[in-house]
Amino acid sequence: MTWLRRRFQPEQIRELVLLALILGILLFFGTQIENYFSPRTFTRISTSVAVVAIVAVGQTLVILTRNIDLSVGSIVGFTAYVVGTLLTLQNDLPPALAVLLAVGLGAALGAFNGLLVAYGKIPAIIVTLGTLAIYRTLLVEISGARSVVTNELPRWLVNLPPVNAFSVGEFDIRLLFLIALLVVVLFQLVVSYLGWGRRLYAIGSNPDAARIAGFPAQRIVLTAFVLSGALAGLAGFVFLARFGNITVVAGLGIELESVAAAVVGGVNINGGLGSPLGAFLGAVLIDIIDNSLIRWLAISEFWRNALLGLLILLAVATDTIVMQRLRSLWARQELRLAARRLTEEKGESNRAA
Amino acid sequence: MHKTRMMVLGLLLVAGLVLAACAAPAAAPAAPAEEAAAEATEAPAEEAAPAEEAAAEATEAPAEEAAPAEEAAASGEVVKATPGQSVEMVLMPKFLGILVFDQANQGAQEAHAELGNPAGLQFLGPTPENSVAGQIEIATNAATQGVQAIMISNNSGDQIAPAAQAARDAGMTVVTWDSPIPSGEGEQLFVAQVDFAETGKVMADMAMSILGEEGGKFAILSASPDAANQNAWIASMQETLKDPAYANLELLDIVYGNDQSEDSYNQSLALIDKYPEMELIMAPTSVGIVAAAKAMQDEGLCDTVKVSGLGLPAEMLDYTLNGCAPEFALWSFVDLGYTTYYASYLLATGALQGAEGETFEAGRMGSYTIEKDPTRENGLRIVMGPFTVYNAENVEAAAK
Repeated sequence: MTWLRRRFQPEQIRELVLLALILGILLFFGTQIENYFSPRTFTRISTSVAVVAIVAVGQTLVILTRNIDLSVGSIVGFTAYVVGTLLTLQNDLPPALAVLLAVGLGAALGAFNGLLVAYGKIPAIIVTLGTLAIYRTLLVEISGARSVVTNELPRWLVNLPPVNAFSVGEFDIRLLFLIALLVVVLFQLVVSYLGWGRRLYAIGSNPDAARIAGFPAQRIVLTAFVLSGALAGLAGFVFLARFGNITVVAGLGIELESVAAAVVGGVNINGGLGSPLGAFLGAVLIDIIDNSLIRWLAISEFWRNALLGLLILLAVATDTIVMQRLRSLWARQELRLAARRLTEEKGESNRAA
Repeated sequence: MHKTRMMVLGLLLVAGLVLAACAAPAAAPAAPAEEAAAEATEAPAEEAAPAEEAAAEATEAPAEEAAPAEEAAASGEVVKATPGQSVEMVLMPKFLGILVFDQANQGAQEAHAELGNPAGLQFLGPTPENSVAGQIEIATNAATQGVQAIMISNNSGDQIAPAAQAARDAGMTVVTWDSPIPSGEGEQLFVAQVDFAETGKVMADMAMSILGEEGGKFAILSASPDAANQNAWIASMQETLKDPAYANLELLDIVYGNDQSEDSYNQSLALIDKYPEMELIMAPTSVGIVAAAKAMQDEGLCDTVKVSGLGLPAEMLDYTLNGCAPEFALWSFVDLGYTTYYASYLLATGALQGAEGETFEAGRMGSYTIEKDPTRENGLRIVMGPFTVYNAENVEAAAK
């Protein structure tokens, strides 16, 4: 028990709590929906979560620094449209270059946010609310009301969604989902083991202390925004591949979905707490609820959104309560341990005297 | 113990903050709307004088002429536009950046040039992420900027009604096109793209033509549950299905993709999971129909589950040629913009009063008679029409 308590702090088992919640919800819908536990359900949910999961990882990096990026939805739409248009004009553009273009374009848009927030000292919510509108307006301007249409896109892109990366038993891991998985794993490692990643937490927990300690806080915040933009750009490419048909409304509302995924996944909106893995699980949880509700015959369309909101609230509340219990348990044991150590020390010093 | 309690309190506070943070974005959009509404009530005060005159005219005129107008209609008297009159006009789409709305603008500009209106015609719309509040703002500002007629494709329910009413009170002509104000408040006339009752029949006919005489089971993928025009079309299709000629068509479900690619795509997949025996998805929305077609193509189901509905030839080309969506329909948005311009011009110049039974000529589109809108409790409309049904033979030419 002591070993367990020593080894895991409450924050670290948060992901386990989320996994348990996901399992519980899966079990519930398994009893309600015919043929629910099938490879097909897995494919449905894994492909549908890919876009939001990638954006949510970037969002997490930004939220960890006690900022927020509300412009990601517009960045997804913007890159999807621009890269789609380029591919329409230049059908033989190499796939790798198309992905690089999307990531680069997103990074550039994210850098603009980051510069204003880190060096312009303007609150992130103001900056990114502004660029949310600016990037979308820019998209409307350059689009000239033309859509990206599938018949003008290269075939490899249109046929990308059903492509399998590999299969585990009967479960297919689609290429687009694999991209999302790799992003999650990569950034989970970055925030866990890289100095830059650890500093995100330091800045978010206590910006003043981080500054006094001599962290290059501005540069770190800027990089977080650049990465958030770059990931939104990558998500834009996935969006383009998945839907093919891109209009100026592409990616509308993804900013809120990504914030919801991060918060449900245990990322503290005030910074300093949470992880990309948590945000990914949050995105998966929301997507499972969403995708199951539309297959659940017992519920009408009008109640679906309300129920989705309720279930998310319930999940967050359960999570909070469980975490609360665990943390106070942990704190109490720590106290008891300290008290015991104190009496032992006292005993020793008495004996010495 | 005390420390533990403090910690619990602290955690509760954090939880509260998190919940508050989640709730905040949802509450935010309400604010601009309220502001806009406040502006809307203030704005007319500046122009109170002309407004009262105009309003007085507007209320007197139909009362006096109500009876003659009907007679005129009966005797076939057609109101014609006098070219060269000056009317400052605004054409407002649901939002900017969508092809069909640009086509409507093209039609309106054509009519504008044809009638030699020396004043301006502006194409003003909100951006997509701000469409509801943005439309209200534009309608409100138009009244203070000397605009005399505004043509609105309403992107919300009745939220825009107060702003439209304020514009009316300020003496402006307010005409809706493509999508009306459900309550009819603040709107003089709705230029309907097609007869909403006919939409149901066109959709049912396409279903029969795709599924063949033996019919089959199908589902409807609509936009949002509160879209007035969508609901009217679905209702008319359900009405049509009662006809014995369509007895072989069975409607399984109606789902909503909220005019978002993501939602529509996921809903289409959910439909094939829920109803393995389904043979057709009918999507009367241009976003929904392409998303459904892409979903069927990605699933390799184009041979067993067909897609149909209302869509744009340029966006549907691929799917029509490869058999995923063999038939779909649409009307001309260029003609819709053109007709709307004529109706607004005639109303603004006083040639039309906006009363039931009046007949007018809209240039190359021929003549229309104002009638009660059967799909709403209040409100007048004209019906443009007709539908064009697209298939593998004519879609390529139309996509250009």
